[in-house]
Amino acid sequence: MTNLCGLTTKQVTLGIKNRDFSAEEYICQILDRIEKIDVKINAFITVDKKGALQKAQLIDRKIHNREQNIGPLAGVAVGIKDNINTNGLNTTCASKMLKDYVSPYDATTVKRLRESDAIVVGKLNLDEFAMGSTTEFSNNGPTHNPWNIDYVAGGSSGGSAASVAALECAVSLGSDTGGSIRCPASFCSVVGLKPTYGSVSRYGLISYANSLEQIGPIGKTVSDVAMVMNAIAGKDDNDYTTLEWVPKYTLHPTKKNIRVGLVKQLVEGADQAISKCIYNAMDLFSKLDFECEEISMNSIRYSLPSYYTIAMAEASSNLARYDNIRYGFDLNPDGYEWNTYFSKVRSNFGQEVKRRIIIGSYVLSAGYYGKYYLKAQMLRSLLKRELKSFFKQYDILIAPTMPVLPFKIGEKIDDPLKMYLIDIDTVIANLSGIPAMSIPAGFHNDLPIGLQIMANELQEQTILDAAMLFEKASNIQRSPDL
Amino acid sequence: MVSKQEIRQLGKLSKLELTDQEIERYQSQIEEIIAYFDILDSISLNELEPIHLIKNFSELRKDCQELFEGNALKNVKYRKDDYIKGPRLA
Repeated sequence: MTNLCGLTTKQVTLGIKNRDFSAEEYICQILDRIEKIDVKINAFITVDKKGALQKAQLIDRKIHNREQNIGPLAGVAVGIKDNINTNGLNTTCASKMLKDYVSPYDATTVKRLRESDAIVVGKLNLDEFAMGSTTEFSNNGPTHNPWNIDYVAGGSSGGSAASVAALECAVSLGSDTGGSIRCPASFCSVVGLKPTYGSVSRYGLISYANSLEQIGPIGKTVSDVAMVMNAIAGKDDNDYTTLEWVPKYTLHPTKKNIRVGLVKQLVEGADQAISKCIYNAMDLFSKLDFECEEISMNSIRYSLPSYYTIAMAEASSNLARYDNIRYGFDLNPDGYEWNTYFSKVRSNFGQEVKRRIIIGSYVLSAGYYGKYYLKAQMLRSLLKRELKSFFKQYDILIAPTMPVLPFKIGEKIDDPLKMYLIDIDTVIANLSGIPAMSIPAGFHNDLPIGLQIMANELQEQTILDAAMLFEKASNIQRSPDL
Repeated sequence: MVSKQEIRQLGKLSKLELTDQEIERYQSQIEEIIAYFDILDSISLNELEPIHLIKNFSELRKDCQELFEGNALKNVKYRKDDYIKGPRLA
């Protein structure tokens, strides 16, 4: 029988609708592959074999009975980052604190995927509470890069990107607070999109830094990502930060003569092999008759400290809720005094989470608030103003997704500041709320390089157009040998 | 300069039980990170305002009781009668 695991979202839905294969046949191959491959990759925390098979059979029955209500993602295997609630399944955030937590409801994005007839195959590994850039800060051990299993997969949505690259699911959901979708997409050579802030509901996403984070799709191709966006984006009464109106996305690039601005500081700040690759991408855009120019962004030097100040401040506040009373791990409160119980259970947070809670409390404390947090929020205004003027002249801005190539597991884990610095290229989109995508741009020493494409708020279609044309012209997309 | 005493105090306020070893390690790491954040202080305040929410608060839902679909108390481990059990308040 043909191997179905490598099919794109479009190919899966067409194949099932045309009865070339059944949803059950497809999902069985996916589940077999997870069983065989995931011992090497460690992308999954939970696999929902039973639920996935039941859903596949339900779709097959619908097809068999020629029912009209077949969803646009019928049969597609999706993985969900384990900080997004999935009714009846564990949602652990890769933390000891939530090891036994079973979601009592579906996040809006998950609900919408299920309504589109996608099949949730399991929950994916991440840095604890999405705090990290390599998936090494997971209570379940690191996710390995499918291109070289000694290397990090990126993070924090490492499981989401690695599972797609390793053909363990067709698409996945990640969350992106400072690059957590785009970084692992770049390191694993897949496509990842952080949508405009407010275009996708965060209801059911376990909060880390609310003003920065967004749920978004990861897929093998640009069209995979567009199809998932059509299913998940849009207003949600359960998340009042969602926008009133969000467009539908087309898989046929319409726009021509896209004006491209290459962010000079980010290209120059990257490893030489990466800079070269991004300049090659610009040449390719020029060949596609795009107008390309280099630009200089002044607020970049403030963006990373500003991002970490805000993210940690919000984290320290969000994580205050973990008291282990209504949910958490098993510790009988009998005989404990309130404060002692709290401190005892909360010491189960991992080292990076604790570090961020402490720094977050520090920057918010009296005497330091004006020096750090307030200034960081002002930087967001400055950055927005600068971007606004750029987007009058350019349709998209391009840069590397990551300034470095994937590195060995354990290489940076003991140096937190060094680890934070690799987020320099991605945080701009989170601070300003604009959409940004990482798309495979090439390889160096068999390790992937990602191109980042940013556009103005709600201009995802422009990103998709440029990315689809680039994808076709560059012909880089392939899968690792595993 | 971030002192060990400050780390200990912040740990206490955040309800985190930190060991001496953790305090030792965090102190040097956090000092380095905070020093990196110091560049923020050089942003000029002229003409700048902190970012605001775009939405109006009138768009918030009505402040009234709504039924939650699903079992919100599914994960409660310790109960007594119809109550959730917690540690004793000193």
